[in-house]
Amino acid sequence: MRVLVAMSGGVDSSVVAGLLKSQGHEVIGVTMKLWEGPNGEMPETGCCTASDSEDARKVAAKLDIPYYVLDYTESFSEKVVDNFIDMYAQGLTPNPCVECNRSVKFDHFMKQAKKLNCDKVATGHYAKIIKNNENYELHKADYLEKDQSYVLHMLNSATLENVIFPLGTISKPEVRQIAADLGLKTAFKKDSQDICFVGKKNYRDFVDKRIDISTSGEIVDNNGQSMGRHEGVHEFTVGQRKGIPGGQGAPKYVTKIDVQNKKVYVGNRKELLTSVFYLEDTSFVNTVETEKLSIQTRYNSENLPCEIEILENNKLKVTLLEPTLGVAPGQFGVLYIGTKLIGGGRITANLNEKLSV
Amino acid sequence: MKKNDYLYLDHAASTPMREVAFEAYKKTESVAFANSSGGHELSRRAKNILEDSRDQIADHFGAAPKEITFTSGGTEADNWIIKMPFINNQNKNAELVTSAIEHEAVLGSAEWVESLGYKVHLTGCNNLGVIQTEDVLKNINSNTEIVSIMLANNETGVIQPIKEISQSIKNLNYDLIFHSDVVQAVATTKIDFHNLGIQSAAISGHKIGGPKGIGIMFLSSEAKIPSFLHGGKQELERRAGTVNVSGVASLSAALGEQQQNMEIQNQKIQKERCEFEDLIKSKLDVMVIGETVSRLDHISNIQFKGIHSETLMVALDLHGLGVSRGSACASGAQKPSHVLQAMNISSDYINSHLRFSFGWSTQVGDGIKAANIVISSIQGMR
Repeated sequence: MRVLVAMSGGVDSSVVAGLLKSQGHEVIGVTMKLWEGPNGEMPETGCCTASDSEDARKVAAKLDIPYYVLDYTESFSEKVVDNFIDMYAQGLTPNPCVECNRSVKFDHFMKQAKKLNCDKVATGHYAKIIKNNENYELHKADYLEKDQSYVLHMLNSATLENVIFPLGTISKPEVRQIAADLGLKTAFKKDSQDICFVGKKNYRDFVDKRIDISTSGEIVDNNGQSMGRHEGVHEFTVGQRKGIPGGQGAPKYVTKIDVQNKKVYVGNRKELLTSVFYLEDTSFVNTVETEKLSIQTRYNSENLPCEIEILENNKLKVTLLEPTLGVAPGQFGVLYIGTKLIGGGRITANLNEKLSV
Repeated sequence: MKKNDYLYLDHAASTPMREVAFEAYKKTESVAFANSSGGHELSRRAKNILEDSRDQIADHFGAAPKEITFTSGGTEADNWIIKMPFINNQNKNAELVTSAIEHEAVLGSAEWVESLGYKVHLTGCNNLGVIQTEDVLKNINSNTEIVSIMLANNETGVIQPIKEISQSIKNLNYDLIFHSDVVQAVATTKIDFHNLGIQSAAISGHKIGGPKGIGIMFLSSEAKIPSFLHGGKQELERRAGTVNVSGVASLSAALGEQQQNMEIQNQKIQKERCEFEDLIKSKLDVMVIGETVSRLDHISNIQFKGIHSETLMVALDLHGLGVSRGSACASGAQKPSHVLQAMNISSDYINSHLRFSFGWSTQVGDGIKAANIVISSIQGMR
């Protein structure tokens, strides 16, 4: 079959292209150009840098497959970067990589594949697709340490039908070994971690330069007593310790951000404990299941047992069986039953409060 | 698709080297490899080949041999002519006039001149891609140092009214230098620089079947421009650096064959292009740029309504047809064309254009073959 492979230039997607090619498929490699600097230069860090696309080109040449760089900078800028800045301005903690998968990468990639008459698309994500009767289920990768199903939670069964994740059943060391066996120069390349459009710079500087209104205001304790001033709500996320005036005895954490009044609330560690929160913009891989659920509230965090209640307008209420620290509005909550991913949504701003729906 | 079946319609980006050019290169490297500036027998051989080539090349363009300087390509010639007059210019009000549809080599140089604090005027074009003489004239004054207008556009093939422009601007300011980037035009037109009223021009070897890395700067003997590269006294002390004699000989051989066969070659190219366009027009909702104005025979820039050209280009490549969008950037991804923007092509269609360009090695039947690939690729996309 003809497979369109998203190649970032890293070892994972290189191996995917190599594996599919060696299985006899017609492989087409594509690097999506998502972000560029003021002079059209590609980013220097993250998952799609200029040197990465050069690596991807070299791998494609080595594998003797056609390879293209396609430009999606416009929709990335609009749907991911603008959203990233907006969310910080609202005192939320965005996850641009999920946002990118959600609203740019897969969408464009699937459309491109269809136009090029490809039977499937493949990426180097660590996740598994299992066909169960007529449904396609999304599962955690066998190699749990690298599992990336969290960032793919927005894919539904109909989409998954056209996707393959060849790395779902192999481990990272095996991937590196395959890359070395195939003679790919990316075999021992470091994994990328940075946000591609922010790079090595502090994300706050990036946001600072792009927010035109001042969001500076007061830092207050839970009784509303002022503890000092802050330079802008986007400097803070819930659970943060940095930037809070010291000398308070026990360490203080940001517990809430009130964007409208530009107030940052701080409190003790135990005040960060959350047991009830809400998800918005939810989506499900197949139909919703409510038994034996657990939730991840951050990428690669542990699964916490929970119960859910479906609300109107694509929202749902999550009740953790045991309260936890560090549920951050803006991040995604992703629901599982065992290794099977059920669905997910964005954590809303009003933690621990009744949601007005 | 077997790799040797690949159909190439991107000659405007680079056209294959002619056999005579290969031969001339090989021969020069073997019998006259020495430095043409040396003082011995082998150097003299190289120098003789260099000067014979210069004579022949000058002849094709109605120029005197001393008006021809060899460069590394068209980009170098454009940079030289446009930038150098603004270095140490006594007149701080000196101005540059060029057009919005120039090749990046010219626009990039103009941007640099602007960064030095000089005034740069960018003349637009009409919606057919033709620069209007009166628009150029509006920007000419006694401070105009250089006017740079291309003879034909590299993305659309549309030919510009160079002779009319050269005559009218000289009436306003006789001292200015009129430069023309003729890199694309030279592939399918005979050019006489003096007759066109051009004082300087840029030519690139690999657009006519010569090697890459060699080009020509024509500079009329009445015009003076400071050197760009300093060092040895090569090229009448205009350009330092050991002369690429094999490249020059090869370019001269390519140019000789091209100029001699131009009429027949253009007829062949035009026939293929017309058959290509006619078949496409009969099956698809398209618009061909420059149909009602004069246009280079080898370029066909087509707007495919409702099709994203990036995707179409990939689909065509996978079907064994190589074309381009007109301007490539280093990373491979591409931006809307500045030429189409200047033509006021609506934003709905600006990313729906592809450039198909034919060349000396295009075979009879290639036009129909290519059109069929385009038609089936687009039908397959729906």
